[in-house]
Amino acid sequence: MTNPAMKQARNCPDVAELTNLLYREADFLDQTNLRAWIDLFTEDGAYWMPVEAGQEDPINHISIFYDDKAMMQIRQHNLDHARAPSKETEVRSSHIIGNVRLVDFDAETGNCTVKSNFQAAVYYGGQTLYAGSYTHDLVWTGDKYLIRRKRVDLINCDASHSTMVIYI
Amino acid sequence: MTKTLQDIKKLVEPTRIHRTIYTDPEIFDLEMERIFENTWIYLGHESQIREAGDYLTVNIGRRPVIMVRGKEGEINVLHNQCAHRGAKVAGKKCGNVRAFRCCYHGWTFKTDGKLIGVPHKVGYEQTDFDINDPAFSLKKIRSESYRGFVFANLSADGPDLRTFLGDAASSIDNMIDRAPDGELEITGGVLRFHHNCNWKLFVDNLNDTMHPMVTHQSVGDACQAYVDELPEGAPKTHEADIISPFGSSYKLFDEMGVSVGPNGHGFTGGATSIHSNYMDIPGYMEAMHKAYGEQKTRDILSVNRHNTIYYPSLTIKGAIQSIRIVRPVAVNETEIETWTFRLKGAPDEMLQRTMLYSRLINSPSSMVGADDLEAYRRLQAGLQSGGTEWVNMSRFIGREEHPDGNMTRAIGTSDISLRNQYHAWLDYMTRNTQKEVA
Repeated sequence: MTNPAMKQARNCPDVAELTNLLYREADFLDQTNLRAWIDLFTEDGAYWMPVEAGQEDPINHISIFYDDKAMMQIRQHNLDHARAPSKETEVRSSHIIGNVRLVDFDAETGNCTVKSNFQAAVYYGGQTLYAGSYTHDLVWTGDKYLIRRKRVDLINCDASHSTMVIYI
Repeated sequence: MTKTLQDIKKLVEPTRIHRTIYTDPEIFDLEMERIFENTWIYLGHESQIREAGDYLTVNIGRRPVIMVRGKEGEINVLHNQCAHRGAKVAGKKCGNVRAFRCCYHGWTFKTDGKLIGVPHKVGYEQTDFDINDPAFSLKKIRSESYRGFVFANLSADGPDLRTFLGDAASSIDNMIDRAPDGELEITGGVLRFHHNCNWKLFVDNLNDTMHPMVTHQSVGDACQAYVDELPEGAPKTHEADIISPFGSSYKLFDEMGVSVGPNGHGFTGGATSIHSNYMDIPGYMEAMHKAYGEQKTRDILSVNRHNTIYYPSLTIKGAIQSIRIVRPVAVNETEIETWTFRLKGAPDEMLQRTMLYSRLINSPSSMVGADDLEAYRRLQAGLQSGGTEWVNMSRFIGREEHPDGNMTRAIGTSDISLRNQYHAWLDYMTRNTQKEVA
């Protein structure tokens, strides 16, 4: 229940608004536009892909990815580098996102958590299908949402994986 | 076609090896039989199976085995094959059992392999079945632990584990010494990285110090580009600390040095390596001084080895407390597992740096690993061409080398590590010759 005396940062976002945001983010990945993609994150933002189902700890336990903004920027520079052997093969991806649902909303800050399901086909020499769920922790900045953390739970997180040259 | 001893001997010369050792499926099968199923192969660390009944399952070459903590605290390594019809009795990667019960007909085995139960026992009268006959137990495999690192050997012949490891065991010693409490503990899960290349291309590369400034130039530059964009006075980051040295100069790698010893083992690095200039972890030095005193601490931390190879299955990075296990699957398919250790008595930040290192370097998401794998893939494909039949390994042969205990020390960019591994390879592949001579 919202306390009427409490200052409300914004209305509870509807699924359409959140879905648009997720689509936009996925679209930057599908365009391999990391520069624009990184700008969707807060300064303390992180991209996390756990290696175990239900993994709770990103720092005392190994993960496939746990990038802060510094790492995102290093990856972006590497992707643009003319001499990165692994980047000579073009990478293309196509994301489909569904089952978008709001799981938490804090009226005081406007911050929220959104869960969704995804399937991402990545073509990099060969084609690989990744599937699982996203959990986006979003921060309301007054005029838009930024991502504080994107958690990617692959259904085969603990399988043996080949190179992942781009965020999923 | 069956390879004769002479055919195999022709594949390795002092300064070159034949390309087919990476591409020929028959060679791969022989390697499994004569190397992986015939020497000490790393299985796991004792800290993974602390309690009676704790077990893990792995393959030695092509053969599934179980490493299990027995009732008396001993470690048993057993063939993962029911003595009845042959199903794997342990189906999970790890777990805890009172006994192994086969999922097919319910034969039940103790954690030392002994058969203790067979359902509906009638019908075996006047047959060769006897519950107490060792032929109906899970067959045990020779195993030993070196300071917590458990190896098994499918061959009853050959040296004990300590002799096999030789002077290269000092890299394990140094990793343990880096713990203020003198003990390691595996923690934080495992990374599995699928490599579509021959297992030797991964092993060759561990002490190849001529590739980083080519293969990893882009990663070094990307790190630098990031650092250049930082505002003045911004704090150093662990990320840049770890990745930047992969683009180091030839001079640094020359000075790192390389040591090789019997059985194909070897390591790069010594007083310096790409790990020697990391930022201090708060509280770690204090804990080390308290445990060892200042002089001994300096001695321990002055050993900055990069990769140590216990040929053919285990590679460790003592200075960063991670290990990688080499599990060949097919001639062009290899599984690399990365495990990480907590240094007992060290601050949590030490483990967190180990995890960061492993994510940045050993994960399927690693930029460094992606460029290495791209090189291995091109090797695997290029070697099929046959434009030249040979792979060269002549750099610094017979030069800039000197004995160091039972090992040989050489300039860091020497190909001595390759020559040493293929010397061991040829020895394994041609050692048991009776069958073929006939």
